[in-house]
Amino acid sequence: MSGNTNNSSDSRRSDRIHRYKASAFNQNQNGEDLTPDYMNVLGMVFSMCGLMMRLKWCAWAALYCSCISFASSKINDDTKQILSSFMLSISAVVMSYLQNPTPMVLPWSSV
Amino acid sequence: SYNIANAGINHLDIEDNEFAEFEDFDVDDVVGGVASDQKNVLHDHEEPSTPEQDKEAPITDEDEATVETEDNEFEHVDEDEYEGYEKDSTSKPDLKLNEGPKITFAQLPAHLRSNWESYYLELMILAGLVLYFFNFFLGRSKNQRIAETWYSAFKGPLLEKFALVGDDGKLENSQPGLMKESENVYLLWCSGRTGCEAVLFELRLLKRQDLVAMVMNLFRPQQDQVHVKVFMNDSDMDTFVMCLAAKKTANRFVREMADISVYCPEKKSAVDKFGLPANFVLMSEIGEASSTLLDVRVCSLINNIPEVIESIHFSDQYSGPKQTEDTAPSKMPEVKKMLIFNFNLPLKNGKSIVEAVEIIRPAIMLTFHCIDRVKRFRLSKEFKAKAEKNRQKVEEAFLKSTHAARAEAAAARREEKRRLEKEKILQDDDPEKQRKWEEKENKRLAKKRMPKMKAIKV
Repeated sequence: MSGNTNNSSDSRRSDRIHRYKASAFNQNQNGEDLTPDYMNVLGMVFSMCGLMMRLKWCAWAALYCSCISFASSKINDDTKQILSSFMLSISAVVMSYLQNPTPMVLPWSSV
Repeated sequence: SYNIANAGINHLDIEDNEFAEFEDFDVDDVVGGVASDQKNVLHDHEEPSTPEQDKEAPITDEDEATVETEDNEFEHVDEDEYEGYEKDSTSKPDLKLNEGPKITFAQLPAHLRSNWESYYLELMILAGLVLYFFNFFLGRSKNQRIAETWYSAFKGPLLEKFALVGDDGKLENSQPGLMKESENVYLLWCSGRTGCEAVLFELRLLKRQDLVAMVMNLFRPQQDQVHVKVFMNDSDMDTFVMCLAAKKTANRFVREMADISVYCPEKKSAVDKFGLPANFVLMSEIGEASSTLLDVRVCSLINNIPEVIESIHFSDQYSGPKQTEDTAPSKMPEVKKMLIFNFNLPLKNGKSIVEAVEIIRPAIMLTFHCIDRVKRFRLSKEFKAKAEKNRQKVEEAFLKSTHAARAEAAAARREEKRRLEKEKILQDDDPEKQRKWEEKENKRLAKKRMPKMKAIKV
């Protein structure tokens, strides 16, 4: 570095290398990003009520929730979780349209 | 009258293929019957002079119509459907029609297969999904570009200062360089240097890949951040806790961080003593440490790029955010000596990635200056004693709080043991043993009461 007046001795110590290990200290300390978990649970709830009560807007909301949880998921998260939430929400959408294929009505308009 | 004609045309196309389906049925008489009714209906409408007939005729037709549909339900032949058919193909274009007869159609349910427009909500939702994934790939590639630009800018200087730059800790086939924790978080682990065990650079970028997060960002603006976490060797750092941060961050730290809330919760303004911008606040356990370490070079840098410096936190008792477990933690949380710098990457107001990275360069280089300063810094005797006393006090407070919990747990265990013993005795109904046990129990209770009185007498 040009402007740097560090001492002549090189401060690198190849003998003191510590390999990276994901300990509590280098985890994300200031607040874990919880959106993937929240969205997963919300997606499950929406697809359940989309399937049980055949509410189409719930099924679509479930699909959105699993997309959001997919987008903010961590790389070392297991993909099974994401896959299962997608499968559930897609099945909710398909089932609700198979049972009555009339176009969707927004919840507030049908009341 | 336009839509009636239009409706007619639709019916016409459907009729042809449907009509073909019912070749085997002798449709004529049904059609004839329906046709005759419709004719009367047509006539009645055209002669307005006889309103009563008008009223009767439609009623009778409808009764007949409903009766018929109930009988041959399985033919899927719907009376209304035939109406249009009759009118166009057989009726001659006579003058009356031009005036456009007033035909009232029954309320038809939206036909299932006819038009896709009625699914407009679904189309909008699907468009939203496509937009979401389009933004996902766009945001991901932008974050990737930012991380790679940052890495390529600092790889050179870091290689000069560390023996190992970029490691993912895997034993086999570990790739050097940036570790991607999630679409917007990248980690760079550097190690092999005097004075510190290792340094972890965390690139916490905005969640550009998530449309919802970007919308939330409009209401609560956040910034791309670079967190530099220096893990100090135990021998290279003295015992003090200090933190210089912007006001908002300072409030959050005092609330959340375990070490700051215990050792230096009171916030002092950093303007007069260090000549720093007004929005900076200093929290320091020992004044000598902060005044020595926040030297001229650090203060001048902060004054040059105040928007970049979010917080500078030196602590030998760092253990992360406060543990929110309700039960008292059984042992002291693990503590480490750390220097944590949070910098903002000023990508807002149109700065390109390369420009922003250049702006943050002096701040990153400052961390090495601070590492060397902290390594050489030693508290004077009296402040050292003060720091030790603080740590002692915290230790005792902790033991006292857990002592109560530990005593309770022990009492509960003893209670449990006695209850089991009692149950065992009651079960085997040997009066002799029960009597002996009760005697023993009474003696124990009496003994427990006796000493108290003696103490009072003396």
